[in-house]
Amino acid sequence: METCIKGSKEWLNSMEYRELNFAREKLVINPAKACQPLGALLCALGIEGCLPFVHGSQGCAAYFRSTLSRHFREPVAAVSDSMTEDSAVFGGQSNLIEGLRNAYAVYKPKVISVFTSCMAEVIGDDIKAYLGNAKEQDAIPQDLAVALSNTPSFKGSHITGYDSTLKSLIECLAKPRQEDTINDRLYVVPGFDTYPSNLREYKRLLKAMDAPFTLLPDNSDVLDAPNLGTYELYPPATSIAEMNEALNAKSYLLLQAYSTPTTSKYLTGKGVTVETIPMPIGLSGTDNFIQAIAKFTGQEVPQEITIERGRAVDAMTDCHQYIHGKRFALFGDPDILLGLVSFLLEMGGEPVHIVCTNSTVPFKKAMEKLLAESPYGQGATLYPGKDLWHLRSLLVTEPVDMLIGDGHGKYAARDANIPLIRVGIPIYDRVNLHRYPIVGYSGVINLVTMIVNTFLDELDRTSTDAYFELMR
Amino acid sequence: MFTNLTKLDLKDKKCMSDAGSPKLCMKALPGEGAERSCAYDGARVVLMPITDVAHLVHGPIACAGNSWDNRGARSSGSQLYRRGLTTDIMENDVIYGGEAKLKEAILEIAARHNPKAIFVYATCVSSLIGDDVDKICREAEAGLTIPVIAVNCPGFLGDKNIGNRIAGEVLFDRVIGTGVGSDEKIPLSINLIGEYNIAGDLWGVLPDLKNLGITLQTAITGDAKFDDLRSAHRASLNVLICSKSLTNLVRKMEIRYGIPFMEGSFYGIHDTSETLVNIAKALGDPDLVERTLVYVQKKEEETRKTIAEYKKLLENKQAILFTGGVKTWSMVSTLAELGINILAGGTQNSTPEDFQRMKELMDPSAQIIEDTSSAGFLKIIAEKKPDLIVAGGKTKYLAHKTRTPFLDINHGRKLPYAGYQGMVTFAESLTRTVLSPVWGLLKQEFPPKEGELDG
Repeated sequence: METCIKGSKEWLNSMEYRELNFAREKLVINPAKACQPLGALLCALGIEGCLPFVHGSQGCAAYFRSTLSRHFREPVAAVSDSMTEDSAVFGGQSNLIEGLRNAYAVYKPKVISVFTSCMAEVIGDDIKAYLGNAKEQDAIPQDLAVALSNTPSFKGSHITGYDSTLKSLIECLAKPRQEDTINDRLYVVPGFDTYPSNLREYKRLLKAMDAPFTLLPDNSDVLDAPNLGTYELYPPATSIAEMNEALNAKSYLLLQAYSTPTTSKYLTGKGVTVETIPMPIGLSGTDNFIQAIAKFTGQEVPQEITIERGRAVDAMTDCHQYIHGKRFALFGDPDILLGLVSFLLEMGGEPVHIVCTNSTVPFKKAMEKLLAESPYGQGATLYPGKDLWHLRSLLVTEPVDMLIGDGHGKYAARDANIPLIRVGIPIYDRVNLHRYPIVGYSGVINLVTMIVNTFLDELDRTSTDAYFELMR
Repeated sequence: MFTNLTKLDLKDKKCMSDAGSPKLCMKALPGEGAERSCAYDGARVVLMPITDVAHLVHGPIACAGNSWDNRGARSSGSQLYRRGLTTDIMENDVIYGGEAKLKEAILEIAARHNPKAIFVYATCVSSLIGDDVDKICREAEAGLTIPVIAVNCPGFLGDKNIGNRIAGEVLFDRVIGTGVGSDEKIPLSINLIGEYNIAGDLWGVLPDLKNLGITLQTAITGDAKFDDLRSAHRASLNVLICSKSLTNLVRKMEIRYGIPFMEGSFYGIHDTSETLVNIAKALGDPDLVERTLVYVQKKEEETRKTIAEYKKLLENKQAILFTGGVKTWSMVSTLAELGINILAGGTQNSTPEDFQRMKELMDPSAQIIEDTSSAGFLKIIAEKKPDLIVAGGKTKYLAHKTRTPFLDINHGRKLPYAGYQGMVTFAESLTRTVLSPVWGLLKQEFPPKEGELDG
């Protein structure tokens, strides 16, 4: 066999390199995870009047704002207290106090969500004590709510940062739970979700089912804001009043198990009833969600929901032949992967490579169980903790028909000459995908549409005259 | 007109504490909403367009995760520079140190990715935990045949400008002049300093240089090859395009290699011509000067003819300009060439000199943007009600929410605006932006007021 040059494209495409690549331990190439404070920011944006505040070096906040702004094509508000070299020596207290003073004076928030980036954590800043001092020095009003979460980038990923910050916001704003103040509401926690349309879909379904609910947090009007001629720094989101009553909820429904474990534990510890279900992607996922709401309201599923379901099933039926037997590779966060895999299995699609950088042991078990239960899941392998460069090796040595994941997957998809269906974050290179839900019955229709039409576009683009035709 | 102030002149003659003047290398105000990036980002920006080397970030996921391939710096050859390489520092590394991990990562890259060199970026975390990136790079390099170059640019050092300067120093200390070939000067050759080939800007200028018989040794750095950079000292002239903080680099190159430098800009007809003529003069070839004078006149005529249609459509529009670097002032004259008036101008990431030039070129009635935070920006839009905003991507969606036409002229753009051809592209983009029918739709009241329906 001809040996090719190390580092050349041919060699990088070889099985020999794939083995070397999978032995790689100390180097990450083309990462498929973001950092804790990015998740913290996404969460904090979902509370009304909340100003996200990064306690750390100045570049971090600029990166997070830019990432979210490019993905959603919206302005994203956040401030930073811009720690510098002398903060490393003397601690970040003066930055935090000065930052809080300036941010409050300029942006007049109802609540400030302070979360840390690496620097503050490495030098061991005691942000709780600093906050006390800030109030003592009248930098901010005594009664201003300030939530604190520790979210260094060297721990966890964006989904754990989301979790810690959500917990901190509830902890900071919620009144204590008392038996005589429990309300009748279902608090629904979407988890790290970058689809404002998903949140709207949840709200629509909850309304249709007549459930008294609060979506917590709800950044849909912040990250998909209407153009009304003026910029609103604080568009409507989960209200402070609803936050105050967060521990008095009748129960909680968590829609992403792996981006809310800390919050879940905290709520349970406070005596709140918590139910966690898989993210409602696909038919059975959505059925599950609808049934959980029906269980909460104690009412039958309304006819209009049944009809809506029927339309989704109809779309799946009409398109089954395009997905059944097709091979897929996927990468992304645990909850979204479970949902997408579940949907593909329903359609007879065959997941082959599943890469999850921020995998956990419980997730691995859940994914393996899901795959084991379906005849279409038998050929699938989950690669926990791997990156997009590992994924590239998989795609070029064991080809599939389609890759599903965020925009960063485009390099691997290009090298493997297969289409990429964009799901997740970041997506900088397509428009409006965050405006199309991937959850609920509408989500089923949208996923079927995206996947099938992409296959058909490929067919039209690549077929010879003999096979080019009007009908597909 | 083109003002010729050098940094030293400025220090002596100009007041540096003007309102709105960029606070060069000063600390950002804690709690302000400004979009300042950090020293690490600044260093990345300057070095990333070296395309055939590996860029390894020794830091937690945020630093590389948010910056790999995040700028439209194009390459005509190797795509290696786009690979997102990081040691992904985790908690255990923070406790036990990340030096061993870093060394292994370097060796892995050298063995399998075929780079011409490896640049290793320090970050806040690696610096705070005391990892000696210099030492590790030296140790790794000892067993390799390629340079392993440490870039000490933790974000906490301050603004992007500081990172730019650090990157320049790294190039001077470790790259330029290290080539194995001849050290002889190449006649009529230049380096373009601070040209990053964003959206292919460099490629818009190359044909003009070629037509005039000027050789581009390398852009520092844009579509840059490592070996060309090593021989950058063979150029006869340094042309500082984005004046920012690479001034240090050209000064040092002047002292060590005797390469004179000049400043210039390839944005707009006037500045492009003036820069080309100044290059010709600085290269000291009378023939070239003559050729260039004829050439630029011809190009100017052609370009003005092509953009005349656009100019008609844009004449007397009122703009707010907010950008950085050379564009701070070069865009003032570029917009003026299209008949656009500037209502207010401001800058964040540029030098006080750039700022001063902008001020001198603008109409005295134009306002200087002093508050560069989002809040300040919104206030000035509300006050001035401009027909368009020309700025960087970070303010794009704020502008859209206020229903103001917006053109991105920083690294988020996808079209090249440099050189004569770039001027045509710029005029076309600007016209498409300002005259898009969406702005009319946005201004329609809905539901319509009584009587409006009948017109």
